[in-house]
Amino acid sequence: MHELSVRVGKKELVSSISLEIAAGTWCTIVGPNGAGKTTLVEAVAGLRPPSHGSVSIGGKLVSAMSERERARTVSLVPQHPVVPQGMTVYDYVALGRTAYHGLFRPPSAHDRSVIDGVIERLSLDEFRDRDSATLSGGERQRMVLARAFAQSTKVIVLDEPITGLDMRHQMELLEILKTEVADCGLTVVATLHDLTLAGQFADRLVLLDHGNVAVDGPAGEVVRSDELATCYGMNLRVVDVDGSDVVVPVRK
Amino acid sequence: MIGPTSIGTWRVVGAVLAHLGLGHSTLTPLQSTIVWQLRAPRMVLGLLAGAMLAVAGATYQGVFRNPLADPYLLGVAAGAGLGATYAIVNVGHSLATPTWTPLLAFVGAMGAVIVTWLIGGRRLRSSTATLILAGVAVSSLLTSAQTFLQQQSTGSIARVYIWLLGSLASASWSSVWLVLPYVAICVAICVFAGRALDVMSVGEDESRSLGVPVRQVRFVVIAASSLGTAAIVSAVGLIGFVGIIVPHIVRLLVGTSYRRILPISVLFGAGFLVVADTIARTVLAPSELPLGVVTALVGAPVFVVILSLRRPVAV
Repeated sequence: MHELSVRVGKKELVSSISLEIAAGTWCTIVGPNGAGKTTLVEAVAGLRPPSHGSVSIGGKLVSAMSERERARTVSLVPQHPVVPQGMTVYDYVALGRTAYHGLFRPPSAHDRSVIDGVIERLSLDEFRDRDSATLSGGERQRMVLARAFAQSTKVIVLDEPITGLDMRHQMELLEILKTEVADCGLTVVATLHDLTLAGQFADRLVLLDHGNVAVDGPAGEVVRSDELATCYGMNLRVVDVDGSDVVVPVRK
Repeated sequence: MIGPTSIGTWRVVGAVLAHLGLGHSTLTPLQSTIVWQLRAPRMVLGLLAGAMLAVAGATYQGVFRNPLADPYLLGVAAGAGLGATYAIVNVGHSLATPTWTPLLAFVGAMGAVIVTWLIGGRRLRSSTATLILAGVAVSSLLTSAQTFLQQQSTGSIARVYIWLLGSLASASWSSVWLVLPYVAICVAICVFAGRALDVMSVGEDESRSLGVPVRQVRFVVIAASSLGTAAIVSAVGLIGFVGIIVPHIVRLLVGTSYRRILPISVLFGAGFLVVADTIARTVLAPSELPLGVVTALVGAPVFVVILSLRRPVAV
């Protein structure tokens, strides 16, 4: 579904990467800080124009899409979402429908039913009228995810969506996404730092190192690869706990 | 109604009705002239100026996501100041007509904004901070040029100074008709941008990912706010404070959505400036206080009171 070959910026942050991600699967990008993960996912979301190569979704070039068309094709959960003070949770989630009703018309009845559905699905009902800036970290991240779901896109791009959340909220958020992949055929492209969770939830892991793909494959293979330890420059052990791989750093 | 020459309220109302073909005016010809040729256009120009400056300030605050933004941020005031000073110092003596002052003020204002935009707004991923800094640089440059011109001609300092402080005293129907089209179109554009500014409150990248053509929207609303402000400034001089304080008062009263802030700023700004002007021309009647002084003297305490009563909210 994706054919992705991107180079960005004067300083090459992502170098000639070609990836094809099948529709309805979950692909997680891992790698140390500065490997180019954020740049890569921003290029997929169409926010960074490729200096070379191209990104296409469903056979269509992302760079050739209008802003509105792109917003109906791929949604983004950014690493540091801006949560405006004074905006209610409902209004924040409703921003996701902007690409459908436009900048001069209020949300249609259909838009509102989509918003209500997403709010219910992500258990945000009790927060509807709360000031979005007053939510806790976990609630806020669910709200940001709700806005992305409201865009009704086939592809969702998430940049470090669980950073700063406690374990329960991390799992909760990833489970919601997993359900969405299974039920609605959503395609997930995410970056994650937690290798254990990355391995448990993704169909496929792509390890980035200095803007290049170091390893690409099924989660179980990538977490066991030698490149992973080399890339992070440390000793790693993979332990099997009830059938799940747990990646543990070990002191040298 | 209120002014150095006392004319009864009901007689003014009668005169307005008479103008609409209802009943007879009881005003003397002199009083009629005062009402129709002095006070009425002055009030209308005040409404237009207040509405435009307030909505432009609110729009700037939204598009720059900066609570300190005001309509003069990108150099409108400095450019207009230079243009007007040049007209007063150099052209004013040779030509009897005062029309050069608004014309050159308008040219200066638009020129300054265009230069600011060319420096800071064109590049693909340049942030709004670049544009603001370009505005600061252009403003400083033009202000120093204006000060230099002013110092070269000490004889006209008083007139330059009066212009800089803003005044509705020279309002006439012709100045009203001159600015009306600009103000009407620019206010309409700003008010219609409310929904776009609400989405853009999540920042440039995120609003783009939500489907907003951020750069185009930014260009259109900055152009509209600047053009309308330039038109107003060329007619009434530099009236400060309205553009920054009225949107904040409105925000404290109605919340942070620009869909509400923008139209209500139009009303509040219009009303606020007419009240301020009434104070300006009556307190020391028959002489007048500079309007910019009154807007700050009235606006600041009102703002402080509201600020202390309500929880402050961010832009």
